[in-house]
Amino acid sequence: MMRRSLRSIASALVAVLAAGALGACDSGESGATRDAEGSGPPVRLGTKDFTEQFVLGELYSQALRAEGFRVDLKRDVGSSEITHEALESGALDVYPEYVGVLLSEIANRRERPPSPAAAYRAAKAFEERRGFTLLSMTPFSNSNALAVKRSFARRHGLRTIADLGGLPGTVEIGAAPEFRTRFEGLVGLTDRYGLDNLEVKPLAIGKQYAALEEGEVDIATVFTTDGQLAERSYVLLEDSRGLFASQRVAPVISRRVLRARGGRLTATIDAVSRRLTTGAMREMNAAVDEDGQSPSSVADAFLRAERLK
Amino acid sequence: MRRTLRTRITTRVVALSVTGSLLLATALVLLIVAVAGQRDASRTAFRSQEALTAGSQLEKSLITIENGLRGYVASGRERFLAPATQALDSYRAELRELTTLLSDDPGQQRRAERIGDRIEDYVSLWARPLIALARDRPPAARSVVVTNGGRERLGAIRADFARLFARERAVARAREARAEQRSSLAIAFGVGGLGLVFVVAVGVVLYLRRAIVRPVVTVAQAAGRLADGELSARVPVKRDDEIGALARGFNAMANSLERGQAELQRSHAELERSNSELEQFASVTSHDLQAPLSTISMYAELLERRHGAELDGGTSLIDGIRGATQQARTLIRDLLEYSRAGRGRLRPEPVSAETVVKQAMEAVAGDIEKTGARVTVGSLPVVQAERSNLCRVFQNLVGNAVKFTDERPPEVDIGAERDGRTWRFWVSDNGIGMDPQHAERVFEPFQRLHGEEDYAGTGIGLAVCARIIEQHGGQIWVDTTPGEGSVFVFTLPADDA
Repeated sequence: MMRRSLRSIASALVAVLAAGALGACDSGESGATRDAEGSGPPVRLGTKDFTEQFVLGELYSQALRAEGFRVDLKRDVGSSEITHEALESGALDVYPEYVGVLLSEIANRRERPPSPAAAYRAAKAFEERRGFTLLSMTPFSNSNALAVKRSFARRHGLRTIADLGGLPGTVEIGAAPEFRTRFEGLVGLTDRYGLDNLEVKPLAIGKQYAALEEGEVDIATVFTTDGQLAERSYVLLEDSRGLFASQRVAPVISRRVLRARGGRLTATIDAVSRRLTTGAMREMNAAVDEDGQSPSSVADAFLRAERLK
Repeated sequence: MRRTLRTRITTRVVALSVTGSLLLATALVLLIVAVAGQRDASRTAFRSQEALTAGSQLEKSLITIENGLRGYVASGRERFLAPATQALDSYRAELRELTTLLSDDPGQQRRAERIGDRIEDYVSLWARPLIALARDRPPAARSVVVTNGGRERLGAIRADFARLFARERAVARAREARAEQRSSLAIAFGVGGLGLVFVVAVGVVLYLRRAIVRPVVTVAQAAGRLADGELSARVPVKRDDEIGALARGFNAMANSLERGQAELQRSHAELERSNSELEQFASVTSHDLQAPLSTISMYAELLERRHGAELDGGTSLIDGIRGATQQARTLIRDLLEYSRAGRGRLRPEPVSAETVVKQAMEAVAGDIEKTGARVTVGSLPVVQAERSNLCRVFQNLVGNAVKFTDERPPEVDIGAERDGRTWRFWVSDNGIGMDPQHAERVFEPFQRLHGEEDYAGTGIGLAVCARIIEQHGGQIWVDTTPGEGSVFVFTLPADDA
């Protein structure tokens, strides 16, 4: 904790020095505003390591570029843990994060906020203490969920997560590696549901459905916005004890960058976020995962349709 | 003509030399270019090699970072991180070194730039965040590490490296191959050029032999024949160049020489003819003059004998006639002698000068006795001469020596000594001598230094001596002091010379 606060002081110092260097005669604010478009260092936008994040990255960066910002899009940085560290180290300026993940995994909160708005407020407060803040959150929520094949659910009479306790032997869950250490993961499953017969088989995000189909795993962690779920051949186990939080997306951004780039950056990103409904997101994810389109062309089509480009 | 002289052989020789030089220079330039190219290529290849080394070093640093990171995340022990931290400090410098060493091929620079970007991403988006995460939340870091995000990034970077290296090797190889090719081409050019230069040199030599040496030898041979007296020797004029000019000049010279020789022969013949006519005239005249003089003398005799008594005191007139006639006869005799002396073909034989001198002394014994002269004769050699002529010379010289004297009794010394290839004879006296300025004149005919009343003679003796000695191939002169005496010296070729 000590080290972290030292680091934020250091980054604030750097920000002040940078502002001074940019406009020696102007006040930091106006000098930075003039810098907003085109000139100045590009906005470094990071994304995590799966399809929806790739699409989000393309959506935000294309919208920003359309507004004249220079954007350095860093795709596929990694899991939340590593991406957030990159943000804190100053290697990234902004990245879209799931509010629930932010709270449970970064802020390390075990209690589930009562509503998405409360979660957002808590997360924002958490980030603001550290020199960051959250932009507006999306309408869609990409919650974590446990999925099983419809046939498997029928065979074992599975409906809720708690039902997993009745399965014989060890049950393999195909999940991203970090699932093992996350509260919204093995930790919470044990904690909330008392499940101790689970074993995590680490999979790259996006490979779970294939693993389910091939019988490599019986259960897989999925995202509620996954395009594959449109097929209805999978059953999402009901989270009756509220382990998996609402996961709306809010871009985490450095307050220094926000100050320097002014309101147009916020407005541009928020305009995109506002339009991202669950349906829209699921469609775009399916276009990439199922139809093999590229995230960039999918984002381009969406932004044009929404007149954001 | 002058222009022609400058443009034929000279121009060709100059043109051939220039061509040869240009060929040689071209061969040299090509060689230099090739050597320089090869040097550049090897330098580039060396740089490429260094770039490959730098790239490998950088790659190794990245692997060190990744491994250190993993070791640290897995164990939580800082010592695993130490090499990674070190590598994190050094990778930028290594990247810069790589970029500077890489060939200036734009594709390579682009690849290096991409690798740089990827490394920066790896470091800032993976390595450093992971280290931070491992410090704060080791379990989270451990779960992240297995996502292999770092290995994937590293894999991409290494793939880029592989492409970069392959390209760099290919570039270096291509350059080496090009330099190699250029150098073999240049060596071929050089060898070919040298061969060509050799051929040109041989051509020049053959050309010079045909165009210069042979004609010059021809002219030289003709000149030799000319020198040997073959005045009709000429060389053919075949060409219009310098050699042609030489031949023409030689022929013109030979023509002029032949003309001059003919002229000379003509005038020589003319001279001989007129000379012999003159001699004939002199001999005929003096011979023919003797007859009337004898007649006059005879008539004067008859006149005295028959009418001497009647001529009262007229006998002195008759004596005058007789004396003048006698003088005329002497003159004519001497003239005849002079005209005969040194004429005709010389028939020399070995003659003992001592014998000849004895003979001559006998001839003038009367004079010697009359004057009471003392004559000493040294030892004298045997020489090639005509006995009678040599005798005449000694006779004249000894006669003069005892004649031109004052009151003192004459002392005459005759001797000879060897002087190189000649014998030098002398006849010295203690007579009246003469003014040295007349020393030359005394050898001319009928030149007298004294009146006839003082010393008898016609003044032909020394002229006769001079002609005889000259005919024998010698010289004659006199060293004299007035009142003290004279030394007449003459030379004759030594018999054995």
